[in-house]
Amino acid sequence: MPPMIDPSLFDQIKSKIEEDTTVRKELEQIVDELHQHVSFTQGLLSKIHSTPRSKYATLLPQVEEGIKSQVATVGKLSAFASQYPYYKYNHKWTRPLQDSLSTCLLFTWLSTHTLLTPLQLATYYSVPLNLTAQDDAFHITTEEYLLALVSIIDDLSRLAMNSVTLGDTALAVEISAFIRDLHAGFQVLNLKNDILRKRVDSIKYAVKKVEDVVYDLSLRGLIPAAGAEDEKKGE
Amino acid sequence: MSGFKRDWNGNAKKRDGPKPPAKKVVQNQFTPMFETLRDELDQHHDRRERIIKASRDITALSKKIIFALQRIRKIDEELPKNIQAEIDTRLADISKLLATIAPEIQGINRYRYARSLMCLEELVEALTFLHYLKTQTLITPEQLTPIMEDLVRKGITPSEDVAMTDASEPAAAAPEQPLEKETPKVSLTQDDYLYGVFDLTGEMMRFATTSTALTGTMAGGGAGGDEQPRTIVEDMHELGSFFEMLPVGQGNRFQWEKKLEVTRQSVQKVERLGYDRTIRGSERPKGWIPDLSGGDQAEEE
Repeated sequence: MPPMIDPSLFDQIKSKIEEDTTVRKELEQIVDELHQHVSFTQGLLSKIHSTPRSKYATLLPQVEEGIKSQVATVGKLSAFASQYPYYKYNHKWTRPLQDSLSTCLLFTWLSTHTLLTPLQLATYYSVPLNLTAQDDAFHITTEEYLLALVSIIDDLSRLAMNSVTLGDTALAVEISAFIRDLHAGFQVLNLKNDILRKRVDSIKYAVKKVEDVVYDLSLRGLIPAAGAEDEKKGE
Repeated sequence: MSGFKRDWNGNAKKRDGPKPPAKKVVQNQFTPMFETLRDELDQHHDRRERIIKASRDITALSKKIIFALQRIRKIDEELPKNIQAEIDTRLADISKLLATIAPEIQGINRYRYARSLMCLEELVEALTFLHYLKTQTLITPEQLTPIMEDLVRKGITPSEDVAMTDASEPAAAAPEQPLEKETPKVSLTQDDYLYGVFDLTGEMMRFATTSTALTGTMAGGGAGGDEQPRTIVEDMHELGSFFEMLPVGQGNRFQWEKKLEVTRQSVQKVERLGYDRTIRGSERPKGWIPDLSGGDQAEEE
């Protein structure tokens, strides 16, 4: 009569569980490292709220350095994580990765007033973007891109206010136009009742905040002439 | 547009410059990008929805198989005909459902939708239980693989072509289709297997209890005697130790501990049965059923 449990089964399963544990520990280390770079860069970026644009020339290169360290760590993460099923461990890094992506999106917008597309962002990080079902590897997901975008909207709405305090009303107007366009973009999406929906719902508050700032400016005739075309209409 | 703005004193406020043209339809530089992203998200949500639907049905069918198996009274290679027939039809239904979702959960999507595929755990439970009742052994993952492949293969009927040309992903699916046609597999993860086996211990406990009560013998191999052939009590002990000795996975420690606790209880219930049988088995009137209420609801989802 055969035994109840195949004698080799135990060792087989045990070694798989141990391997899983090792992978998780390794991932945690890399994710920690990413987290540190992200926090540092976020901290640097928080200075934009008190730095006039004329001083960006010294601030932004520092930010870029921080982003480069992040990109290097993401490269490490990508190489390691691609050995395993992507969605098995994805939850371990998705938050810090989103934060990292948003520092990069914010940085590029501040420096060039352009929004990196998902493909440009993936290229910047040298990781793949869209994978067919057959390649199971590290990549930036659509959700991660969108969530990162939501968080720069938050940041920019704050900057709109602070830029006025710093006397740079033109920046507030530029931010307003950008956020309004993004808001319209997000309304194109069909969202389910998930985290993305929850975060996207918060965009309207950012829009309102910035519109209020622009309204205050226009009320007092403080909108600079060049950007005046875009004057806020009451709705 | 609501009239005009007023200044502090309530007078109509002058606009500088001509009135801007009527509000544009929301179309801007970002619209095309968001449209692409929307399509990707839609695809994902639709796929997930289809998987969840099938998964719910597979779970229900698996539970029905388990109920059918609980009507068996002894461990035997040959299942009673009516029960075998019921299981066959349920499995055929499961086959069809698995075949419809198989292409959706290939490669990277296997883990992406893992949480929507809880049905596989339930199916493993049914299959392990079936295997146990036939052979009195624990099926290994390697033995399960061909069974799963077989199920998916049987579920693929000619009409499946129609099902696959689901409008949602015409472009993406095109290059993959030939590959999938050959081997659409529904792979089981280690967790599907382990948690299925955890639940098996609960089914074994129920089976041991009813069969002992109704037949007056402890289920086991061969002649069903008390001493020589291995009984279900020993099998339960072995399974219990098996799980106790395994390291706890980092990913789902909480769930693991919970399942392990339930398994411990099941083991103890069965060993109590063994004790009762040994000490006063023959005194027990035929047909007497111990009260099962109270302990075993934990496994029910």
